[in-house]
Amino acid sequence: MSTAVILRKELLELRRSPVLLLSMISLPLTVVIVPVGLLAWLVHAAPEQALAFVTDIYGVHGGGLQAGVASVLARNWLPMFLVLPIFLPILLAAQSIGGERERRTLEPLLATQASTLSIILGKSIAALVPALVITWIAAALFCAGIDLVIGSFLLPDPAWLFGTLVLSPLLALFGNAMAVVVSSRVLDPRAAQNLAATTVLPLLGLLVVQLAGRIALGPRFYLVLALGVAAADVALVFAAVRLFDRERLLTQWR
Amino acid sequence: MSAIEARGLTKSFGGRPACREVSFSVERGEVFGLLGPNGAGKTTTLRMLAGLYAPDSGSATVAGIEIAPGRPGGPDLRARVGLLTEQPGFYDRLTARENLTYFAALQGARAGRVDPLLDRFQLRSHADRPFAELSRGMKQKLAIARALVHEPEVIFLDEPTVGLDPEATREVRSVVAELAAEHATIVLCTHHLDEVERLCSRAAFIAGRMLAVHEVRKLDLVRIELAAPFAVPEGVRALCKTLRAEGLVLFVDPLAAVPDLISALVEAGARLASVVPHRDPLEEAWLQLLALAREQGLTA
Repeated sequence: MSTAVILRKELLELRRSPVLLLSMISLPLTVVIVPVGLLAWLVHAAPEQALAFVTDIYGVHGGGLQAGVASVLARNWLPMFLVLPIFLPILLAAQSIGGERERRTLEPLLATQASTLSIILGKSIAALVPALVITWIAAALFCAGIDLVIGSFLLPDPAWLFGTLVLSPLLALFGNAMAVVVSSRVLDPRAAQNLAATTVLPLLGLLVVQLAGRIALGPRFYLVLALGVAAADVALVFAAVRLFDRERLLTQWR
Repeated sequence: MSAIEARGLTKSFGGRPACREVSFSVERGEVFGLLGPNGAGKTTTLRMLAGLYAPDSGSATVAGIEIAPGRPGGPDLRARVGLLTEQPGFYDRLTARENLTYFAALQGARAGRVDPLLDRFQLRSHADRPFAELSRGMKQKLAIARALVHEPEVIFLDEPTVGLDPEATREVRSVVAELAAEHATIVLCTHHLDEVERLCSRAAFIAGRMLAVHEVRKLDLVRIELAAPFAVPEGVRALCKTLRAEGLVLFVDPLAAVPDLISALVEAGARLASVVPHRDPLEEAWLQLLALAREQGLTA
């Protein structure tokens, strides 16, 4: 009951925060527009150099330029869509407890009958739902854009479906729980946001290494990642509830 | 049974004592003051009684719910008390009505509580404005409405007029006076003596530790000094809410206007030496206690 009340309020506040909404959609928009635009430009402006680049760096042979570049983008860009579901809830969740403290709404909230679990759940779902919806819309636009440019159906392939439908929710939960844990312990919401955001660094690192052609992340990697993140999610959710110390949250804010 | 029984409540933060050995009781329907300088431990005491902190030692019973070390009261207690926090603490982008509806839902208030409260505090015409656009006085009245939304047995008011302009202060004080007139049980936390004098029947003085609990006599007493002994007749007594005689001096809380009371006394044969408003000794008592506390290093 309290969870639904908190969720409704959080979503209402989000709807009335155009700047926050804009900041949430700017990264996904970039992640979609830049590679699709790049592919479209390569296909039309510099086909020979593009083919040579793809062959040299990624060892993609045959099938022509469009198929080569598209398959490289499809394989290498997936981690970027795994960064989004971690990063987007952090934008909201790191503000959730720290923001309440900063706006002095935390004491009235804690003075209500709402339980710790319902506060965490309400705020977490409110961070997860928009983040996942934006990620899925961005992924759909990316896949449609790639297919449109190359003129055939390439995406989503099984890896993309697994990444967006299975991994994304797990990663979103991970990013959110991490943000709640950090936000419960760090006084400054901006510091909490920055700290929680460091959780995307390993994935970004993998993305960079893969883009450099040093590794190729395959289905086994994504499966292992999903299992690892699921286990981490369970641990983090328990930690988030345990670390949400109502008394400490009130006393350590000055 | 008292609405509140606090027994030696003690709380420290990081080894630094916030309040020590706070004990008092509040009767049902009483307006009780918690008086003390800034940093005296008033808010800490209030938060313990409102179920936000557990005490380090000592215990309390609030609206029948026990509070003890490790047991801050929980949702059962929070359902029975209403807390006005020092800052209004609402969401700027939500309207007054949305804010109040949100907290009403979290408090499990019965349906239809919000609009009557908005009416009561003259906020109905501002109900659909974002909270950020309300005046300070309106914000504070909305915060009081929130403290009442679930019809609590005990109301805690933490510095209800701090930071308000004179007009808003007057509005908020009249709201508290209305609640007092309705026999609500209220604990009023303040460092304004005049607020306690106006609104409370008793007050606890706190400065790091509990100093004393003091009866608050109303400021509007009249001190009448007689030139000669005089037995006040029943007809004159009927014009007084209270009448206390100390030798040749009468302390009167008049029901009638003071000139009418004086006329009645003179007509009954009394010879008066002087008639002056009686200053309540609260301020004096407070200053003495504060000086004592400073001597003992309890407060700055």
